[in-house]
Amino acid sequence: MHLINGPVTPGAISEIVAKGGKNLECGAHSLFLGQVRRDQTDGKFVMAIEYSAYEEMVTGEADKIYKSIMSEFDDVKTIEIIHSKGIIKAGEISLLVMVSAGHRNHASKACAKTVELIKEKLPIWKKEIFEDNSGQWRENE
Amino acid sequence: MDISVLFFGVLAEVTGTNRENYRNIKSFEDLKHRIGDDFPELIHYNFRIAVNNKIVNEDPLLRQGDAVAYLPPFAGG
Repeated sequence: MHLINGPVTPGAISEIVAKGGKNLECGAHSLFLGQVRRDQTDGKFVMAIEYSAYEEMVTGEADKIYKSIMSEFDDVKTIEIIHSKGIIKAGEISLLVMVSAGHRNHASKACAKTVELIKEKLPIWKKEIFEDNSGQWRENE
Repeated sequence: MDISVLFFGVLAEVTGTNRENYRNIKSFEDLKHRIGDDFPELIHYNFRIAVNNKIVNEDPLLRQGDAVAYLPPFAGG
């Protein structure tokens, strides 16, 4: 699990995919990218999201997610998670999850489950920043 | 005992601080009252409590040097 300052860049995504290719036991990589959406609230557009995190706790909770996924999906070989902190503009990537497995079935199911667990378990917060610089705290449903 | 209290997300914003250090705390109940006196606005928000990075569901037994975190609902992803 990596918490990085700023967005997940195309270069970082490329590096993760290249790293996955070194594992010759894998026949499938499932890649999820979470993007900051230009939502509209009360006529104002979201220009960015500011993320903050309880970093010490994120590390421990991410380890629990890894262990939970690895025990549920025995074909999964590796899980990569990158989450942004700081200000991420609309259209930029704030979350990357890549699950590599022997076969596609476990890769895609485990990837979807990992994303759900990240939203539920990791102590990360986001504040939407609108075009007039006002802000609104959001929470996951 | 001395306890560090951490505030995150909207709670850091409404309290105006990320971290407060409390001295001579007798118990979790005592700490809650001290925090409630200092930051009465917290009563309007939902949050969970973590002690040393672990969420607790009941009032914990605090020890010298513990870190108590006030966590609003999560919003990662």
